[in-house]
Amino acid sequence: MRWCPIPGAVAVIAATFCSLTSLSCQKKEPLKIGWLSSLTGPLSTAAIAENRGVEFAVEEINNAGGVNGQKIEIVTRDTAGDPTKAVNFAKQLIFVDKVSVIIGPVNSGESLASVPVVAKEGIPNLIIGTLDELTDPVKYPRAFRAICTNSQWIDAANDYALHVLKKSNVAIIADTTGYGTATAKAAAASLDKSGAKPVYTVLVDPNKTDLTDEMNKAKAAGADIVMPWSASTGLLARLLNTRGDMGWSVPVVGHPVLMAAPIRPLLNKPDYLQNVFAAGYSSMTYDEGGKLPAATAKLRDQIRGRLGNGGEIDFSFWWVALGYDTVKLVEHAVKTAGATDPGAIQKAFENTKNFAGVYATYSWGPEERNGYPPQAVVMNIASSFKDGAYKAAPH
Amino acid sequence: MTVFVSGLASGAIFAAAALIYNVMFSTSKVLSVATGHTAMLGGVFGAWFMSSLGLPAAVALLGSVAVGAAFGFVTDFVAIRRVLTRSDEHLWLLSTLALATMTQQVVALWWGTEPRPFPRLLPQAYSSGLADQKYWLPVAVALLLAIGLELFYRRTLYGKLFMALSEDAFAARARGVPTGRLRALSYVMAGSMGGLAGFAAGQLTFAYFALGLTLSLNGFIALAAGGLGSNVGALVGGGALGMLNAIATYFIGGQYQNTVAVGLLMVVLLIKPEGLFGAKVARPV
Repeated sequence: MRWCPIPGAVAVIAATFCSLTSLSCQKKEPLKIGWLSSLTGPLSTAAIAENRGVEFAVEEINNAGGVNGQKIEIVTRDTAGDPTKAVNFAKQLIFVDKVSVIIGPVNSGESLASVPVVAKEGIPNLIIGTLDELTDPVKYPRAFRAICTNSQWIDAANDYALHVLKKSNVAIIADTTGYGTATAKAAAASLDKSGAKPVYTVLVDPNKTDLTDEMNKAKAAGADIVMPWSASTGLLARLLNTRGDMGWSVPVVGHPVLMAAPIRPLLNKPDYLQNVFAAGYSSMTYDEGGKLPAATAKLRDQIRGRLGNGGEIDFSFWWVALGYDTVKLVEHAVKTAGATDPGAIQKAFENTKNFAGVYATYSWGPEERNGYPPQAVVMNIASSFKDGAYKAAPH
Repeated sequence: MTVFVSGLASGAIFAAAALIYNVMFSTSKVLSVATGHTAMLGGVFGAWFMSSLGLPAAVALLGSVAVGAAFGFVTDFVAIRRVLTRSDEHLWLLSTLALATMTQQVVALWWGTEPRPFPRLLPQAYSSGLADQKYWLPVAVALLLAIGLELFYRRTLYGKLFMALSEDAFAARARGVPTGRLRALSYVMAGSMGGLAGFAAGQLTFAYFALGLTLSLNGFIALAAGGLGSNVGALVGGGALGMLNAIATYFIGGQYQNTVAVGLLMVVLLIKPEGLFGAKVARPV
């Protein structure tokens, strides 16, 4: 067999060229982002929607050349809503997958368990749980919240009840989970600051099959407004069904899940969603002309075709926008830092001011870990859902 | 009155779970962790048959019972039969827990993790208050199941064979009783009872994937309080548990509901370890 000199020569030339310009020949390592999501557990509806936003942002960034020349690689772990799994997967993302940043987990219960673990290893963590305790610039210096806080929801709802609806005889109905218990206390404290006291407060098992007793007691206590604090769709639907079946027209003001899509089919009658107002976001609220903010409308139109259901969005679109923004925020921080060093990313987040996302405009600081602007939390009419967004509650 | 009625309704579901435990225990001496899941499947499939497939309620009811029966058979085949053959230890606790967990996960993936509505079964206004069918259907079904079981045990050959198996499985086998087949039959029967109970309770519980473990736990407490093996005990235990939960929630607060449930179990076990209607078992020494 004759030896052909041409391939050998090509190889020698290529090797020489590469040794001279090693950077251009060496493929850059991807930027690994860990994504802890409850895709099959409680809150999976929200998590799946957020995941759509995450995937869309990654695709958009990679198609544009990546971040500082690095393609983004999302490493998704399904926590199924289980705090133990969230902790185990967080460790796996840090020690095995060696990610640069972790987004999530999606619910506060999981985050309470995982945030200290991620913080201990010094990995930047974008928090998307609302419980106030999840951020602390001293304990968790690299944990930055991209969603509003629970206090912001509570303050917006209390303000609407007391100052717009002019109702001060409040009944607080929360669930017995850690979230519900803590929120009931925070809601009462917030009312107290405004000079009002709840006339009735109760904690209810989220799987309790009937709320007739609680609603009767709230009515007997003289409540002129009911404020539920729970993320359990079953519990909230039962509360609204009981109110409707009682023929009690008391307004209900509270948690955003009051206007979530899974509530609607659980109601005995569609009318039972009237006079219900929930904490929402200015970015997901139609203006008087029926239009959404430009960034929201743009993303919605871009992603609509991928969401199935014939192009109609039948869930709260803010979940998609939040997922999208988290990846864009990581891109912004890594670009600003010019590296994936955790300390540099922390500095970049701390110096972020008025970063215009779709879900919100974010700002953090050396002592500030909550990036969502309080004025962007608004009240929505729960029954006004259309194409992923809501109308503003009347003022 | 609302405390009484809502407590009775949820107590009836616990009582139904306790009755299902009894049927399986009578032939296998096993307390399956997947007991509540038979009712969960009844509710989920009932809603699916009616809402998604558009089947009439009567057909959906039969379908739910059939699904429950099939699940009962699978429970015996997968989690009980080989475990009992190979070991005298309580390994069935692990095998039934594994089956329960897998079933819940599969239903969550298929059905979703949010509760879904269960259609109205009888024409009735939603403003019917305490006369609403969502309260009385579970109560009626629990009573029906208890009466049916008593008649089955007392009036039928198979019922008597179940009792013989319950008394002494080795003696029954020595006399030619097909113990394996009878055990499988008891699991099919228990599964169909669960399907029926879950269907009847659907309007109260919604069609929800995570209902199974709650019912398994509360059904067990009702059974232990009422007395293992006693159908009257299952009814009384379930009713008492439901009422105590409702009273505790009403007067003390929902955060103490589970404390009351487990407290009831401890009090009964301390005072009367065999349960209110359970038979004392003499141990030959």
